[in-house]
Amino acid sequence: CLADLIETFRAQLRDDPDVASAVAAIRVLLGFLKQDRGETIQGLRSSLLAAIETLSGVDSSVAVLSGGELFLRFISLTSLEYSDYSKCKEIMIERGEIFLRKVSLSRNKIAKLCHPFIRDGARILTHAYSRVVLRVLEAAVESKKRFSVYVTESQPDQAGQKMAKALRKLNIPVTVILDAAVGYIMEKVDLVLVGAEGVVESGGIINKIGTNQIAVCAKAQNKPFYVVAESFKFVRLYPLNQQDVPDKFKYKADTLKTNQNLTEEHPWIDYTSPSLITLLFTDLGVLTPSAVSDELIKLYL
Amino acid sequence: SGELMDLIRREGQRMTAAQPSETTVGNMVRRVLKVIREEYGRLHGRSEESDQQESLHKLLTSGGLSEDFSTPYPPLRANVIEAINELLIELEGTTDNIAMQALEHIHSNEVIMTIGYSRTVEAFLKEAARKRKFQVIVAECAPFCQGHEMAVRLSKENIETTVMSDAAIFAVMSRVNKVIIGTKTILANGALIAVSGTHTLALAAKHHSTPLIVCAPMFKLSPQFLNEEDSFHKFVSPQEVLPFTEGEILAKINIHCPVFDYVPPELITLFISNIGGNAPSYIYRLMSELYHPDDYEL
Repeated sequence: CLADLIETFRAQLRDDPDVASAVAAIRVLLGFLKQDRGETIQGLRSSLLAAIETLSGVDSSVAVLSGGELFLRFISLTSLEYSDYSKCKEIMIERGEIFLRKVSLSRNKIAKLCHPFIRDGARILTHAYSRVVLRVLEAAVESKKRFSVYVTESQPDQAGQKMAKALRKLNIPVTVILDAAVGYIMEKVDLVLVGAEGVVESGGIINKIGTNQIAVCAKAQNKPFYVVAESFKFVRLYPLNQQDVPDKFKYKADTLKTNQNLTEEHPWIDYTSPSLITLLFTDLGVLTPSAVSDELIKLYL
Repeated sequence: SGELMDLIRREGQRMTAAQPSETTVGNMVRRVLKVIREEYGRLHGRSEESDQQESLHKLLTSGGLSEDFSTPYPPLRANVIEAINELLIELEGTTDNIAMQALEHIHSNEVIMTIGYSRTVEAFLKEAARKRKFQVIVAECAPFCQGHEMAVRLSKENIETTVMSDAAIFAVMSRVNKVIIGTKTILANGALIAVSGTHTLALAAKHHSTPLIVCAPMFKLSPQFLNEEDSFHKFVSPQEVLPFTEGEILAKINIHCPVFDYVPPELITLFISNIGGNAPSYIYRLMSELYHPDDYEL
């Protein structure tokens, strides 16, 4: 049954490359909930925890963890309201569907909030491949703005090239630059816009490796650093430095399973502290980094 | 009440379009809309604890999409009028509320700097002067030189006042203990739209690590960000900068006379408003208490 879970998850990610991995995880977990034969909330929780473990084994990114935690929280909140298990399960399934529908609208909400911040003639710097940033830039093009974009190549998987291709399709002038050229290009740029894989409690973000460097350069040259992220990426971590980010997020799932000595491996993500971020655009509104922890507290306490 | 809200929203849009730099008009419209929503919610039977804001919690627990306001309730009108009267009383008392906090922030033998003329700061300093002895340096704030009027009013209360030109701000800053200013608008990220010259003052204060205190009532808090519209830019006749009598030069040069300045939130230490003192990073919370997110765009 858990093996089917892995298959369904992989299939979801394959068939719909545009969907965020957290949403795919939540969809899979909802399907798992529908098929669950248990009779108690405790049983449900433990089987869900096992399911989330397996999903992290497929895709070890922060987003899957945040999606899973959100789903667990959703279960706990609903179970507090209804004591009868079968009624509770019906309500959960209904609310789960509504949640998935709302979440699919979140990228458009963010694009609507963010595109007024892109002025005519702006030069934007972005990092690696982010579907949310792509949506924001699409919205800016639709509102007839002219701007140009610099994308970092983003080694080791050259995700920046993928981003550049997608932007060229929208007729946006794009230049791909080396990761090392960020300091050089920063003086030409008007604003920096990046996505996030996870937003942590302090208001900082976890994103593809290289983001921290860009944020530091932007701060040094007084350029605004904007982050776009959906609210389901908020996660209950509080790293104080790079070492505090758990190893299970830094490396791909296969590497964690096969390799014992991680000091030779290159990490895939880094942590950017909230003092370097100007504003976060989420489907809950435009937030300053200090507002993020408020949102998390409202949910989890 | 849905119709009432649409009516108010339309009028609000017309008024803000007429003079975009007067943000308090829009703010008041948003406050009234929030009042209506609250009164409607109270009558509709929803508990007062329930959060009107979007939040992760609401995303997970809500049973359906947002409510509509079509159910009529006869007592709604009276409740709304009462709530608006309370709002009016609050507005009338703002300057006094701010002035009451003066004694906590101003101590004896301090040198305070301010710029231009602000009624709120005037009341603040006058209240402190009743019990403490301190000096005030006023930057004159060219080209309108409203600083002169401020100095005259302060000296009438026997406060030792000095007027100086804007160019001398940095030179004098090392002797100043605190900078207290008023503002035109507070933006959603904690930044200010204030009278031209305030950014210079703020940068000089940051350089000398002098605390910058902004005295402003809550109705100046606006849920907008600095973005493309730049509608706060207001330019007036450059007559003040270079008079029309200098005819020959006028053809060869461009003269601007901006009225407002943008001050980023990192330069501000404290906001003193009618509800107390707050840090700039807390502004988002005050905003969520005053306005409903659906009303941010009128």
